[in-house]
Amino acid sequence: MSPTSKKTNPSSDVILEVKDLVQSYNGRAVLNGLNFKVRKGETFVIMGGSGCGKTTLLRILIGAQKPTSGSVYLFGEDITKASSQELDRIRLRFGMNFQFGALFQSMTVGENIALPLQEHSQVDPSLIEMIVKMKLELVGLTGFENFKPSELSGGMRKRVGLARALALDPELLFSDEPTSGLDPVMTAVVDQLTLDSTRKIGVTAVVVSHDMASCFRIATHMLMLGSGPRQGEIIAEGTPDEIRANPDPFLQQFVRGEADGPIAFRLSQDDYLKHLLQEG
Amino acid sequence: MKFSFESLLNAGGSRLTYGLLNLRILGWILYGFTRPGILVPSQILSQIIRIGVQAIPMASLVSLSVGFILAMQSSTELGKMGADSFIPDLVSLSLMRELGPLLVAIIVVGRSGSAVAAELGTMKVNEEIEALRVMAIDPIRYLVVPRFIALMIMLPCMTVFGNCIGLVGGWAVCTLEMGMPSSFYIMRAMQRPELWDLFSGLIKTAVFAHIIITIACYQGLNVEGGAEGVGRATTSAVVYSILWIIIADTILTGLFYFIL
Ligand SMILES: Nc1ncnc2c1ncn2[C@@H]1O[C@H](COP(=O)(O)OP(=O)(O)OP(=O)(O)O)[C@@H](O)[C@H]1O
Ligand SMILES: [Mg+2]
Repeated sequence: MSPTSKKTNPSSDVILEVKDLVQSYNGRAVLNGLNFKVRKGETFVIMGGSGCGKTTLLRILIGAQKPTSGSVYLFGEDITKASSQELDRIRLRFGMNFQFGALFQSMTVGENIALPLQEHSQVDPSLIEMIVKMKLELVGLTGFENFKPSELSGGMRKRVGLARALALDPELLFSDEPTSGLDPVMTAVVDQLTLDSTRKIGVTAVVVSHDMASCFRIATHMLMLGSGPRQGEIIAEGTPDEIRANPDPFLQQFVRGEADGPIAFRLSQDDYLKHLLQEG
Repeated sequence: MKFSFESLLNAGGSRLTYGLLNLRILGWILYGFTRPGILVPSQILSQIIRIGVQAIPMASLVSLSVGFILAMQSSTELGKMGADSFIPDLVSLSLMRELGPLLVAIIVVGRSGSAVAAELGTMKVNEEIEALRVMAIDPIRYLVVPRFIALMIMLPCMTVFGNCIGLVGGWAVCTLEMGMPSSFYIMRAMQRPELWDLFSGLIKTAVFAHIIITIACYQGLNVEGGAEGVGRATTSAVVYSILWIIIADTILTGLFYFIL
């Protein structure tokens, strides 16, 4: 079966399901009742403006943070209610690429990638060394094994983070803005890597991004989170073609990258004056 | 409810209070004895070097100075009473029972406790702790336990070593300044203390090591709010460690004095 083909019973190949997810900070709902499903083999792209809650959503999906309410079913288990042991078992099945890399500063690049292998596989050290080299080759960093993260550029760190997330050959990959801060060639390399992983190896990917070109290149399914007045809701969801055809002005402004539109980047003239004149 | 070591490892869920930290460290160490691969000797060794061996020069210098000071201060008073010959006793007893453990512990707080708090705090801020959790690697097992074992081993060793250096300081003053024969000094300094004097000092040292490393790790793992938070945690680790060391010292000395 090709990973992208739809099965007759769609619910059986759901890998991740989010139900009525709410996350509020100090009474402000950043995520407000989200519902969506990610199926096996999909490249599920989550888009949205800066500060709309993409990283927050991802942190909840990987069990790093408990939501205010709602449930997240990962491989069929509700991780919001799972015990630490159950969570650890689930965590071996996915990899996470953090927005800012989250590399271990005291270790070299090679040791960073080797760590999950040393901890969770019975592979012997010479083989681990080889796997590390292979993963570095995948992200275009051959020969950087002995560099410390502090000796790398931001974009290089991101790619090491991706290599580390792929170290255990996970079934599911979470990636938080894998291409921001990369040059066009490296963006294409990382996109190609995501494509290869999903199309060839059958990895399911949940990718956060606001680089529209990159989104349309890799996505098989897209979801747009709202910000500003529509904070916390899902603006649109569907295949890339459905998203392109969606007439929602909010979505269209984002997809085309225009300054004018319903996404308020500045206050209106009246609101601005009111805001300035407010006491305190 | 069935009790197992494993239940200690995650006691309290995702919260981490000071008590839970202690419980989980205990759980991992007990669990580590029953299963290979949990306590990694190479990691413990590298922590022994980083938080123990590298603090030895400073601890030695302080011990040497304390040896000098004890001998010089006591010689003025004891000399008036013609009790010069008790100086070696006084130097070795004070070092073993009290000053050795206390001063070496305070040096280690400043040198290693602060470093551990700052290192773990920086890892927290950089999301490295989060990354470990997501990789299903328990930060307490991977980061805290090797440091804990390393300091529990190293602080007693450094204290015994510091005591020896302090005795050399006392010897230098007694022989070079006061013209006491070396053989006399060595004989008095070695004969007067009983085994219990050494042990009581080592019991204190073990308690101090526990205080230093658990407070440093607790402060480091609970950092909130960027570089400023790391600074605050480091300061708290040093201040609370010294405070609790002195409180514990008072309690233990009282126990040894009144009960034993
Ligand atoms: N611990 C927290 N306490 C309070 N508010 C928070 C916390 N974490 C995030 N927020 C708020 O939640 C909102 C979403 O943050 P998040 O980091 O998820 O945004 P994002 O979509 O990932 O943005 P970007 O694209 O810039 O990375 C922000 O408005 C932020 O202020
Ligand atoms: Mg983000």
